Amino acid sequence: MALKYDLQEVEVWDGNYAASHALRQAQVDVVAAYPITPSTPVVENYGQFVADGYVDGEFVMVESEHAAMSGCVGAAAAGGRVATATSSQGFALMVEVLYQASGMRLPIVLNLVNRALASPLNVRGDHSDMYLGRDAGWIMLDAFNAQEAYDMNLCAFRVGEHMDIRLPVMVNQDGFITSHTAQNVRPLSDEDAYKFVGEYVPVEEMLDFSRPVTYGAQTEEDWHFEHKARQHKALIDARPVIENVFAEFEKVSGRKYNRVESYLTNDAEVIIVALGTTVESARVAAQYLRDNEGIKAGVVAPRVIRPFPFDAIRTALENCKAIGAMDRSAPGGALGMLFNEVSAAVYTISSRPLVTNYIYGLGGRDLTMEQIKDIFRDLKKNVDAGYITTKIQQFIGLRGPKLEFFETRRS
Amino acid sequence: MVEIRWHSRAGQGAVTGAKGLGDVVSTTGKQVQAFALYGSAKRGAAMQAYNRIDDEQIITHEKFMLPDFVLVIDPALAFTDNITMNDKASTKYIITTHLGKDELVSQLPELQDKKDRVFVLDCMQISLDTIGRAIPNTPMLGAFIKISAMFELDYFLDRMKKVLSKFPQKIIDSNMQAIIRAYNEVK
Amino acid sequence: MSIGNVLGNDKRGRIELGAEKKVGWDEVTHGVVLHSFEDDATDVSSRKAEDRNYAQFSSYVATVASWRVIKPVYNRDICIDCQNCWIYCPDTSIISRDKQMLGIDYDHCKGCGVCVEVCPTNPKSLLMFAEAHNPEDALASWPEKKKKEEK
Repeated sequence: MALKYDLQEVEVWDGNYAASHALRQAQVDVVAAYPITPSTPVVENYGQFVADGYVDGEFVMVESEHAAMSGCVGAAAAGGRVATATSSQGFALMVEVLYQASGMRLPIVLNLVNRALASPLNVRGDHSDMYLGRDAGWIMLDAFNAQEAYDMNLCAFRVGEHMDIRLPVMVNQDGFITSHTAQNVRPLSDEDAYKFVGEYVPVEEMLDFSRPVTYGAQTEEDWHFEHKARQHKALIDARPVIENVFAEFEKVSGRKYNRVESYLTNDAEVIIVALGTTVESARVAAQYLRDNEGIKAGVVAPRVIRPFPFDAIRTALENCKAIGAMDRSAPGGALGMLFNEVSAAVYTISSRPLVTNYIYGLGGRDLTMEQIKDIFRDLKKNVDAGYITTKIQQFIGLRGPKLEFFETRRS
Repeated sequence: MVEIRWHSRAGQGAVTGAKGLGDVVSTTGKQVQAFALYGSAKRGAAMQAYNRIDDEQIITHEKFMLPDFVLVIDPALAFTDNITMNDKASTKYIITTHLGKDELVSQLPELQDKKDRVFVLDCMQISLDTIGRAIPNTPMLGAFIKISAMFELDYFLDRMKKVLSKFPQKIIDSNMQAIIRAYNEVK
Repeated sequence: MSIGNVLGNDKRGRIELGAEKKVGWDEVTHGVVLHSFEDDATDVSSRKAEDRNYAQFSSYVATVASWRVIKPVYNRDICIDCQNCWIYCPDTSIISRDKQMLGIDYDHCKGCGVCVEVCPTNPKSLLMFAEAHNPEDALASWPEKKKKEEK
């Protein structure tokens, strides 16, 4: 039986510490991990909680991130509640096993503390690793601050372990900007948190010797497509379940989350779509521009990156005129992911807002309030002109000559 | 919103200091943010830590700030770091040094027109005398409380004791002494 | 095949591998998890294979007999029950009980010939014959003990 942890009503926690307390409160059975900056404290703190008797679980030290996720797959298939954390290169090494975990429908919770991918080597925050994992068949939640890193972890267990879903869940938070920034966090009591997450109910667990099972079977063209299709449907069908879990969470915490978060969007003409801490910073800029320059600015953010909220994001953007899709990841010879996915969604509505793409913040480069305001001002110019006045893809906060690509064809 | 920038060396406790300040401030019902610019830096490398304090939830995440207070907890950084970077006409400086204020300012041209906003104390000596190690972050908190007038000293000490409650009594006592001495000595 | 299959229940080799019923995406198993047995298997390790209720996706139920071009024939009269073939068979197709070799599971034997290769007796207790070869004829035509070649 785990010891009770003494919590204040308001704690000052960084995102990592907040996440690790959520793992403790969920009484995670097994954490198999290979620590990497900036996610290290998530699993380090869990290990400390185990050593100090605050959680009745097992910390498994492994020799690589590939092994860490393999250990998680094994422990989850065996029938335990399982979690881990990683970042960047570690996540890249984990990728092969991520697809195994989702294909086997194992509800593992992975804290992905977003960090740039080498080369050049960089420990700071951008969304390269988050984007790398987006086709892995996991549910992906995004936290914009330390409080949400805590809240999303608790929700992640409920969502992933739901009997209609049974899929692994990633909880993203910005490396350093969230993970190492201490802010006021209001945790639930241990009792309330565990009651919300619920007792773990294993499915097809290997440790049930009365029903031996095979995990990781091989299928060729005769069966593979059906299995992947069923997995995709489980992901898409997770949408209402996630909404229900968020509604349940509001009842115990007072904090309301949505698959797509919208701020100041009711009458917004220009909207920034972003992920991570940028969402919050952009809210500050939007309010400033409303108060000082009469620009009707708003912010829309996918709280749930996968399943991609194609429906909800379309609704959120339906009445605006120009959208700035902000991608914090090197786009690798394409338009950014948010630009592509948001454009695809709004292409199916008749208003067809003008969408532009801003690449920013790579390797932890600061995104300043002034830069965000300038983006909104760009968008306003597009609205007034009725067409995209800038290049479609622009790099923001970059030294050297302006880097920008593609134009609207207007002839 | 009050914004604070700490100039420190990795290992001197600026992050702990910033988080400690955040812990204490949060108990007053205010919203805080404490973060640092570091990463793979080694012990001894120059680094900066930051605090934001506000009545509303703090949702800005830019690292850029125009600080209201600049806290320098390593004596040499006043000379080697750009401590006046992005300052305002009202920015107050608290600098740890064994020099007197006049002597310090005379050697730092960028501070000469800001002299009335510069405050000094020797956090290193205070921490050596009280805590027994060169941990200048705790004395700096005492000096900050005095200069900012954000809290009454007794109130701050009481909250700080709570934050340190998991440590042995001896450590709590020596930290309290360090804060009180710094509060009285900063000028 | 009169010498044929030993110790199998009526589920063994019932379906040609790959000829199982193909269901749609809405009916495939959760997480590609496959059950080994139809019913409670708590004491399954104390039961012999032929007494186990294997599930439809267990390879026990499938047969690969048609893959075989040549087959091993077993000669009880020569075998010394050394268990070499049982150890080496890559498809668990040697049936042995209480360290006594009983015969071959022709539902799963693919005719690779490893058992013949590792058989230490003289002459061999297992020999490969064409799939269509009558086992009784095979036994009748079994070779004599080989003499050491003179130098």
